[in-house]
Amino acid sequence: MSYLYELPNATSGLDAIVIDTFNVFPFMSSLILLFVYLTVFLGGITRQTIKSGTADYSAWALIAAMATLLPALIFSISGGFIQLDWLIIVVALNILGAIWFFLDRKPSEI
Amino acid sequence: MGSQISLTISITMIVLFSIAIFGFAISFGNDNDADMNIGSDSVVASSYNLNKGNASQFSTESEDTYTSILETTIAEGSDSLPSAAPFSPTRGSLVGSLKNIVTLPINSIFGGWGSPFGIFFTVLISIITLMFALYLLKTLRGNP
Repeated sequence: MSYLYELPNATSGLDAIVIDTFNVFPFMSSLILLFVYLTVFLGGITRQTIKSGTADYSAWALIAAMATLLPALIFSISGGFIQLDWLIIVVALNILGAIWFFLDRKPSEI
Repeated sequence: MGSQISLTISITMIVLFSIAIFGFAISFGNDNDADMNIGSDSVVASSYNLNKGNASQFSTESEDTYTSILETTIAEGSDSLPSAAPFSPTRGSLVGSLKNIVTLPINSIFGGWGSPFGIFFTVLISIITLMFALYLLKTLRGNP
């Protein structure tokens, strides 16, 4: 059977398959992180809007950034999953989310 | 935001959150011997150390301010403090730490202070500084 692409070598461990995939498509890890961020952010504000009529955008932005940081840190353990620049951008997103969140609080909320 | 106290607490929480995120991410990398550790990046390490310095400075200034406020006397017939010295931590270390904190997002996402978007954060910090000043004036003299 012929393949359209070169099969990854799995003899060095299952993570080699993922790393090979990420090497072929370097944007993969970034898209996974973007998926996590948008799922939490859009899902959160949508559900909160349905339940209460309004949404706390800054809080969901911060929660989504924190949720994105966890897979980003896991990706960082082994080389080839994520670039250092993207890890720093995720941390920067957390900081921007925190600035938005804490400056957005009403006096009664902080 | 609604007062000098809430603005001070907001920025203090931003500083603490940033230090916590930096600390967690760097410690995670060290503990797991990660190939990608943000602590190895010079901008991140510099920002983290500056934030820690600002936070320590804020702690010291807060203690001094507490003592200063306890020792402050208001002259008879006067309805305000003679100087704004008791509010020095908000003027110095807190605003400085905010600038250090936004340096990382600006460098990593928006291309540095000199980039076209850099002026956004420059104005943001400026307006926060101005709000601090107006709140101090309000505290000392009533409504500005």
